[in-house]
This record gives sequence, C-alpha cells and structure tokens, in this order.
Amino acid sequence: MKIKSLLLSFLIFLSCLTTTVQAATQSQAKEAILTAHNLWDKTKTAGHEWNTIKPLMAQATQALQENDYITAIALAKKASTQSKLALVQAEREKTNWLNNLPK
Amino acid sequence: MKNLLNILVIFTSLGCINIANATPEQDKETFQRFYMERFPDVSKEDFGNGVYALDQDARDQWESMSDFPPYEDDLEAGEELFNNPFKNGKNYANCFKNGGENIRQNYPKFDTERNSVITLELAINECRMKNGESALPYQKGDIAKISAYMASTSEGSLIEIKVPNDNALIAYEEGKQYFYSKRGQLNFSCANCHIQNVGRKARSETLSPALGHPTHFPVYRMAWQNFGTLHRRFASCNKQVRAQPLAGQSEDYRNLEYFLTYMSNGLPINGPASRK
Repeated sequence: MKIKSLLLSFLIFLSCLTTTVQAATQSQAKEAILTAHNLWDKTKTAGHEWNTIKPLMAQATQALQENDYITAIALAKKASTQSKLALVQAEREKTNWLNNLPK
Repeated sequence: MKNLLNILVIFTSLGCINIANATPEQDKETFQRFYMERFPDVSKEDFGNGVYALDQDARDQWESMSDFPPYEDDLEAGEELFNNPFKNGKNYANCFKNGGENIRQNYPKFDTERNSVITLELAINECRMKNGESALPYQKGDIAKISAYMASTSEGSLIEIKVPNDNALIAYEEGKQYFYSKRGQLNFSCANCHIQNVGRKARSETLSPALGHPTHFPVYRMAWQNFGTLHRRFASCNKQVRAQPLAGQSEDYRNLEYFLTYMSNGLPINGPASRK
C-alpha cells in the first residue's frame, strides 16, 4: 500500500513537472518567434531582407503549431541570427557601397 | 605620426565623397571606360550582346541559334497585343509618343510632375488602366511580349536617358547605391559580379558586363522558356545571392533600372534577345 501511494505520488509529480516544462517551453517558443519576427521586420525596413529568413519563420511557426517547441525555438533563433547579420550588412553598406565603385 | 594619419583619413574621405558625388555623366564615363579598358578587343556597341561579347564559344552557339530565334512566336504575339484595340476602341499607340514605336531608348524616364521613374512596362500598364483595362502582372507574360515588340521597333536607336532635375538625381543616386550595395546571405552586390568579376566564371557561367545589360530586354531565357523583363532578371539575381527579391516595378527596382540604363547611354537597342 505504501509503495503504491509512493508510486502514485511520483507519477503525479512527474505529470505536473512535464506540464510545467511544456508550458514554459511554449511561451518561450512564442517569445522566440516574436523576437525573430521583429528583427525580420527591421531587415525589411532596412531594405536588406534575406530570402533565407522567411522559410525559417514559416518552419518555426509550423513547429509551434505542432507543439514541437524545441524545434520552434531553434528555428526562431536561427532566423534571429540571420536577421541580425542582415542588419549589420545594412548598416555597413550605408558607406561600404562606395568601395565597389569602378576605379 | 598621428597627424599624418588624420590627414590621410581626411583625404581618403574626400576622395570617396568626390566619387560619390560624381555627376551621372562622370559616372557613365568611368563606368564605360572601365569595361573598355578591361576588354580592349570588345567594341562599345558589342557590350550590348552581354556575355557573348566576351566568350567566343558561347557566341558561336548563340549566333547559330539566332537563325531561328526561340522568341519569334512571342514577339509576334506582342505585336498583335500591341495593335489590338482596348474595349474603348483606343490602343497602346494612343498613349505613347510616335505611336509607341522607336521609343524604347528613352525609357526609363523621370516624370518631373510625379517625381518618379517611369519604366516602359509601368507606362504600358498605366496606358491600360487609363483606358479601362486591368493591369497586367509584371515580370513576364503579355507585358513582356508587348514590351519586347516595342523594343524591336527601336532596334539600333541609341539609349538616351536623362536626369532632368534634382529629384531625378535622387532617384538616380538611389539606384546607384542599390547597384553597388552588397545584399543577401552571400553578401554580393550587383557590382561584385558584373564589375569586379566580369568575364570570370561563377560555376559554369561567365559573368556578363553590366554595360549593355538594359539594351536587349525583355530577354527570352532558355531557363525561363519565355520572355522576362529586366525586373524579373533583377529578382533572379537577388535570389541567387539569397536576398529577398522585390516586386516588379517597386521603387528600388525602377531606380536601379534608371541608373543601370543611364550607364548604357549611347549603346544601341538590340532587344529582344535570347540568353541561356
């Protein structure tokens, strides 16, 4: 009897833990996608959007819909990194384009 | 030593500013001279043949194919579309100077009232809408066929793009900056391929000179199996460097076309043409 209740308590604890982890991961995934989306928008405004970002965003959103939060976060982070690089490019090219003029 | 370095930085910056502030005519001289010096055996006019001016083997194949151009049917369709009256009885000829014939060399032009670059394809669609017709999709299809026919009526006429005022100059400068700016995940500018690496190979393809690019559009590309406008080609180039392509007739592409066509001022129209 004692072992049974101990096992039951453990299972309940485990189930609560899983739900907590899942909830946290879902909100993290949403947050990561939102951040990635904002950065992506900035690249569009800067006129330096990369065509590799859109598919990553679509895949991240798809993963979120399928409750695959780990994949969603990974893809959103990848999209964010690319957007940050595109923004660095946009900033650099404000002056660097002059170096490409024919001499 | 530090002062010397400062002076050097100031002079270098002044040099950059001078290049950046060059007039369109000075830009054109530098641009055209670059290609003439890089390829002294190629005549200025021949740059309108793109990569075929640089690669004799490719040229031989292209010339033999030109006996029966793959775009003949589309060109005929373009002529028919051009001459077909709209529902109100008018046609394209009513919208353009000289009945729409022999005008390709003057496009794109800067509309000083609207402060905007007007390309030939944009003017075609505006003509349609003015006459109660719907706009055609840009980049390919009927608009490219009509534009190709109109280009064919300009064969041999020299490109003559003008920058009439300060607003036009702004559009020109924006197009110039677009051309020389690196973009996309591969971090390439138009100039990286078509100036710095012109004539070299990118995989199996020879990189074509930017001088003469606009003389022969719309082109019939084997890869497309139909006509495409210059903006369709811009979009393809953007994709190749993994940049998000813009919509046909977006302001950036129109300004880019304006700059690029100005650089080919004085070259004869030889479009439409076929390309790989």
